[in-house]
Amino acid sequence: MQLGILRTSASVSCSNPPPLMAIAGAGQLNLNESPCWGSRSVDCFEKLEQIGEGTYGQVYMAREIKTGEIVALKKIRMDNEREGFPITAIREIKILKKLHHENVIKLKEIVTSPDGNKYKGGIYMVFEYMDHDLTGLADRPGMRFSVPQIKCYMRQLLTGLHYCHVNQVLHRDIKGSNLLIDNEGNLKLADFGLARSFSNDHNANLTNRVITLWYRPPELLLGATKYGPAVDMWSVGCIFAELLHGKPIFPGKDEPEQLNKIFELCGAPDEVNWPGVSKIPWYNNFKPTRPMKRRLREVFRHFDRHALELLERMLTLDPSQRICAKDALDAEYFWTDPLPCDPKSLPKYESSHEFQTKKKRQQQRQHEENAKRQKLQHPQPHARLPPIQQSGQAHAQMRPGPNPPLHGSQPPVATGPGHHYGKPRGPAGGPGRYPANGTSGGYNHPNRGGQGGGGGYSSGPYPPQGRGPPYGSSGMPGAGPRGGGGSGYGVGAPNYSQGGPYGSSGAGRGSNMMGGNRNQQYGWQQ
Amino acid sequence: MADFHTSTHRANWIFSPQELVEKYKAANQRAIQTLEKYGTTQMEVDADGSLSYPEPIARDNADKHSRPKPLNIEEEQFMRVFYENKLREVCSAFYFPNKIQATALIYFKRFYLQWSVMEHHPKHIMYDSSKSLSDTSSNALYLCMLTCVYAACKIEENHVSAEELGKGISQDHQMILNYEMIVYQSLEFDLIVYAPYRSVEGFVNDMEEFCGVKDDENQMLKDLQETARLEVDKIMLTDAPHLFPPGQLALAALRNANEMHRVLDFEGYLRSILARQNSEHTILQLIESLDAIDAWVRKFKFPTEKDMKHINRKLKSCWGHSSHDDSKKREKKRHKSHKSLNEAHNGPSLA
Repeated sequence: MQLGILRTSASVSCSNPPPLMAIAGAGQLNLNESPCWGSRSVDCFEKLEQIGEGTYGQVYMAREIKTGEIVALKKIRMDNEREGFPITAIREIKILKKLHHENVIKLKEIVTSPDGNKYKGGIYMVFEYMDHDLTGLADRPGMRFSVPQIKCYMRQLLTGLHYCHVNQVLHRDIKGSNLLIDNEGNLKLADFGLARSFSNDHNANLTNRVITLWYRPPELLLGATKYGPAVDMWSVGCIFAELLHGKPIFPGKDEPEQLNKIFELCGAPDEVNWPGVSKIPWYNNFKPTRPMKRRLREVFRHFDRHALELLERMLTLDPSQRICAKDALDAEYFWTDPLPCDPKSLPKYESSHEFQTKKKRQQQRQHEENAKRQKLQHPQPHARLPPIQQSGQAHAQMRPGPNPPLHGSQPPVATGPGHHYGKPRGPAGGPGRYPANGTSGGYNHPNRGGQGGGGGYSSGPYPPQGRGPPYGSSGMPGAGPRGGGGSGYGVGAPNYSQGGPYGSSGAGRGSNMMGGNRNQQYGWQQ
Repeated sequence: MADFHTSTHRANWIFSPQELVEKYKAANQRAIQTLEKYGTTQMEVDADGSLSYPEPIARDNADKHSRPKPLNIEEEQFMRVFYENKLREVCSAFYFPNKIQATALIYFKRFYLQWSVMEHHPKHIMYDSSKSLSDTSSNALYLCMLTCVYAACKIEENHVSAEELGKGISQDHQMILNYEMIVYQSLEFDLIVYAPYRSVEGFVNDMEEFCGVKDDENQMLKDLQETARLEVDKIMLTDAPHLFPPGQLALAALRNANEMHRVLDFEGYLRSILARQNSEHTILQLIESLDAIDAWVRKFKFPTEKDMKHINRKLKSCWGHSSHDDSKKREKKRHKSHKSLNEAHNGPSLA
């Protein structure tokens, strides 16, 4: 890198003074004009269609007028914010401006709405447009993913997540509707509204009221406030199992039921399989009254051997023993036939966003209702079809649950000081709290994906936040002479490569993934 | 890796000295033109965060004697430095971690790359004539500074409510919230900034290995680090943070600290860094940069009390408080629309 060249390579953010004079007579600064500072107007885009709706506001598909490029516009709601610009939006902007990876959604810019020169209710985040989200895609009637396709999605999910974790970002809301997929077969992590930076030492108290219930790991359900990347890996395990199984594996309706479902499959935690579990705040409230054995291998015995092996390690109760993203990418599963396919080889599907298909699905639901009424004795159809090439029959039906509430009935835990940004407008739990919900709606569990409407561009409700580490919480790697924290101390550049080392070149397998070098620690452990 | 190398800090906020001068000039000129045309430069920030320009005043009404005198670039610089220092005082008063102070300071500096200090003036500010503008907390720079602190607290996950922060200004904390959006926009939402303090720590850790430290030397390195931190404090008040990457600022600070403590052969250390990084750059280029940073620190001037008095007088005239009629007119309008917000408003007693 260039010590001296830094200056010349720096772009000038503004070359022309804004045309203030021209409009000053009107007594108002016209934010319509593209000012040299700040943001462009949302009028640079033509809204085509609403593709999502939720508590956060709306998501639109839009076209940039100048270039014709299709984008997604996510509105940031500004009203009812006692502490100004919402902290969730700040976090999302901050984190997305930091992350640059092919498996992480790209935030292109921030634009403002010019109506009445009022910024309130008029801030939009501009994202690259993605045609689908994983849940929406999986819920398409008759959709069957092939094994190479599942491997391809899983590998992209893990690659993106590994990148986040290497950069000290926890996603904290991994679920199908937040995994966006384009028609090139690329999968990208989206909705970083609950994400935050973490430090390696796990010393900070974080809120345990994150992650949509069905994908929430046992340590959060038991009330842990010190946690790390393992929380996201549990969610990945849930998604993985869901892809193979054809439907969600832990559709709990509240926290106790959620834990119970987990224990039924993964066994009950004790000091043997999870040292230290008895010290987690609510362990005593929730510990099962009867012995429960781990049945995962038995229940999913029809899964491919390597898939089952990987799933076992993702759905490990003890977070410290749970597989990390890097090791998961190294699992045999991804390196045995059939190999993950090339994303580009995947079939292209018609866009599946909730808003676009809502009416269609509503009609379909109605149709199903009518059918049900006519022949009540008929069993419910399977939510999804298990993957092609999957031998053996899918496991006995699990009851598709109602809304998975984000927070549910869990007692609120004050993890931080009395004040926090944003209102904890978390749902009280229960169906119907969110008028328009997840893209996953439709086929067989209409209310699924409760707070995740809009498929991934959306922000969930903001949970009360614990006080972050006093220093380094936003991950400022000390910038060295080459600038970066990673390389600045002269102890070698990180050898993680962004390009996804798990490509078709089998030779370099695993060797590139040593992301956690000592450099990173400088930036964080304080 | 997401680090400085790929950051918006490096991409958008490191300038050449010429670019920097042009930015200051442009903002200054813009304010002067506004002044000539409208007799005041103050842009008003409304409760909803929108900006508005003054009503144009008829030329012949303007009293020739009270024709406002704009600040020059050097005076603007003084004004900024004065409030950068205030910013540190506020952060210390709240016992914020150093990181908050550093981030807020960079925000403040960047904000005034986009604006002249003459330009921003918030509505609903109660002037207390018994205090001079520099020590009343109720002026635009102070408020902008507080907003930068507020934003920095948010970004660094060190939550403080606007209300708590606003207590210091005996103003409605809503003012801070009104300003918040303008600040983010002026920062172009590039919210992650890299201050040299962490780089200093990183280099000192690296030096431990470089020197193969024994226990007694460890204390020396600690002293070195402490002195370097104070050196960074000085650097941060200059324009150098707009011109050099944080790693170089840190090295300049460490080099000066090493002059005092004589802990290691600094040039040898610089060579070792360059060698380990396979840098295409020569030791001479690096030293040239460090010298340039030193030069910025040497030519740094903090305004005297007399300077500030003079500047504040001018600034008051720019903000239009010498034009009585105009102020009155404004006042009426204000009362009409924002009675509830500021009932204690007595009108601009400076008029």
